[in-house]
Amino acid sequence: MERRKFIKELVIGSVAVGFSPRLFAQSGYPELAVVTGESPEKITRGAVELLGGMKRFIGRGDKVIIKPNIGWDRTPDMAACTNPEIVKAVVTLALEAGAKEVIVLDHTINQPKRCYIRSGIQEAAQSAGARVLLPDEQRLKKVNIKGEWLKEWEVFVDFLEADKIINMPATKVHSLSKVTLGMKNWLGAVGGSRNQLHQRIDEAMVDLAAFFKPTLTILDSYRILFRNGPQGGRISDTRLMKTVVAGTDPVAIDAYGAAFFDFKPQELLFLQLASSRGLGKLDLEKVRIEKRTV
Amino acid sequence: MKREQSKKYRRLQKLRIVSQLVFFAIFFIFFIKTHYGGADYLTITVERFFHFDPLLALTTTIGARLFFAAFWLSVITLIFTIIFGRVVCGWICPFGAVHQFFSFLFKKTRWLKPKRDDSWSLAPKYLILIIVLIASLFAVNLVGYLDPLSFLYRSFAVYFTPFLNMVFSESASLAYSLGLASLGQTIGQALGNLALNSFFQNALVIGLLFFAAIALNAWKERFWCRYLCPAGALLGLFSRFNVFKLKIDPEKCINCHLCSIQCETNARPYPIGEWRSSECIYCETCAAICPTAAITFPLRWKAEKIQGVNLSRRKLLLTSLTTLLIAPIFKITPHRQRAYPALIRPPGALPEEKFLDKCIKCGECLKVCPTNGLQPALTEAGPEGLWTPVLVPRIGYCEYYCSLCTQVCPTGAIRELTIEEKTTVKIGTAFVNKNRCLPYALGEQCIVCEEHCPVSPKAIQLIKVETLTPEGKIATNLAPFVNVNDCIGCGICENKCVVVDEPAIRVSSIGEQRSEKNRLLLQVNNQKDSQE
Repeated sequence: MERRKFIKELVIGSVAVGFSPRLFAQSGYPELAVVTGESPEKITRGAVELLGGMKRFIGRGDKVIIKPNIGWDRTPDMAACTNPEIVKAVVTLALEAGAKEVIVLDHTINQPKRCYIRSGIQEAAQSAGARVLLPDEQRLKKVNIKGEWLKEWEVFVDFLEADKIINMPATKVHSLSKVTLGMKNWLGAVGGSRNQLHQRIDEAMVDLAAFFKPTLTILDSYRILFRNGPQGGRISDTRLMKTVVAGTDPVAIDAYGAAFFDFKPQELLFLQLASSRGLGKLDLEKVRIEKRTV
Repeated sequence: MKREQSKKYRRLQKLRIVSQLVFFAIFFIFFIKTHYGGADYLTITVERFFHFDPLLALTTTIGARLFFAAFWLSVITLIFTIIFGRVVCGWICPFGAVHQFFSFLFKKTRWLKPKRDDSWSLAPKYLILIIVLIASLFAVNLVGYLDPLSFLYRSFAVYFTPFLNMVFSESASLAYSLGLASLGQTIGQALGNLALNSFFQNALVIGLLFFAAIALNAWKERFWCRYLCPAGALLGLFSRFNVFKLKIDPEKCINCHLCSIQCETNARPYPIGEWRSSECIYCETCAAICPTAAITFPLRWKAEKIQGVNLSRRKLLLTSLTTLLIAPIFKITPHRQRAYPALIRPPGALPEEKFLDKCIKCGECLKVCPTNGLQPALTEAGPEGLWTPVLVPRIGYCEYYCSLCTQVCPTGAIRELTIEEKTTVKIGTAFVNKNRCLPYALGEQCIVCEEHCPVSPKAIQLIKVETLTPEGKIATNLAPFVNVNDCIGCGICENKCVVVDEPAIRVSSIGEQRSEKNRLLLQVNNQKDSQE
């Protein structure tokens, strides 16, 4: 087992080195890794590998929480939730990197158990060894968000107790924020009257993104929802992009994701707000992006 | 004379208690299993108990003039009762077990002291049976209120489920406050898996009636079974000629009256020749406590003179006539003439008249509803519809990919639907109240209803609206517009609306597919629409 894992890492590592000469030239890893391919698992592994491997983000003994989008009672082909195979791959990577425990949690909109099961995420994550927790309102805690609009809000303590947070959003359109990607995903980590957050949705998204500060964001753009967002309902509302975008800059990731729907980052209010607050880079020209097909 | 209780009957009595425990346990497990357990279709027929109930079979068949296939099973109960007597009441009925248990407790606490020669008439239950049957002739469905299984299940669903929920969440919060976070978390996860509904309108009345039925046991043993239960009465009519007949050995009998005093249903085993076979539920108490083992239940096929409950023809006639006179009173209601806005029935519900004929108010659908949206009606459905299920979107919406309520209905009042069929069933229509809707009335942004609309394309579309503010500015926002032909009336929009007290988008029953009259837009060319 050990040897096989070593060889696997060696192969992936050498592939990464072979295909990305800039990796060493810029004395560091790319800020965004964009990997395209048929297998959701392979593109996920590829993207994390491009960023320097999961060990760069997860230390031995870390308590990791993964926040996918499990918001809706929809099957994976509806693209309303994060792709279960991609979640599974990240759980596996985190455990391989030495995480003590990996928790998967989302505050769903439909009945939680229904969403967890139909999305395929519960089964996939559990089979990889994660602890999949249903949202439990008793584990909400009012904390100081220190946002510009949101001062105090209820947050699931599981996020506060974790050593590392991995954000795993889906790629969808939304009629208010125009797109729902990484920053919008944080509405699923909180409780309270979430629907009222829509009154100033862009500010709420940025306040929450600034609070949660994920170690890593892995955007599932394998199948994206371009119509009838954020829950779709027909396969014809979706489009296969077979892509995973990973990185540490939440603004750059959302800026990249918005491009799937032909939105320029400057058109999106939440990205402007986030960039002006120094959460990340808005201008993709200035971001080191590494692309690959596997 | 040798004084010794019969070992055989003491053993039989214990066996009866075991049987009651087992059947109550099955009933309870089915009850708990009546929820979304992770699969779209329930794997066990959780409503199975009801199908063995001949009273429900009879009344719903008469009332709806339609036989529901699963009720064939009730024939088994009938045949069994004809041959062996009311064993079902004494050994199987879960509500009977509840009454017996509390009668036992009340006797132990001495709140209940059974008297010698109780002369109360046991006739009321037969009169109740007559009322229920005659009412069903008029298609007035009263059986649900007094059928023991309906009564028990409804009480459990409406009172006990929220109670259990409370127990779970309180113990979780206690665990957290004691610093036992992992225990709290375990309980919290169990709660999420069990999906116990936590609110029911009318829970006060339904809960109090349940406790009243239990409290009556402190007055007379198995009060419900003796005096009220119409299902027991029906079985009583069939049990008179059964093969187990009580026999007292006059040689052994010491005339202590103990058997008659302790008889749970006042079937009067003593004096000799007074035993009423239609009342005996074969609990074996008399034979077990007889100090001289004088009582036995030998197999005897031969017919002999049998004592029954004194049901005078006059009483029967008067009850029948009174019911004939009163039954129509339930129908004199404008509900039959015109649809009511809050009367949103579960998907798959038959047209209102047929629905009322069949619905026994058992609460299976209330228990299984994952959002707690199905509630027992108070006035929404008229006098006939008390405690029938209505969707109250403010409490819970109809989950898009869920057809559980249609799977658990024991009488077919809600037709079984596949998930695919269910997603196309329209149960009502949403309307926006522009006077309260944020973009329209306040010039604030909010698209919450649109975001939640589950159909594709969305029944709630967004339009740009301009609102003039007092400052003289024009606020332009996206605002909801309901496309009534796409709306299925699931009510998630109303449920999630941020105007929580009186939502700015509300669903009413208009447009419901099951009704031919309660329609909105006239579609002359659309023949498909009238297929249902």
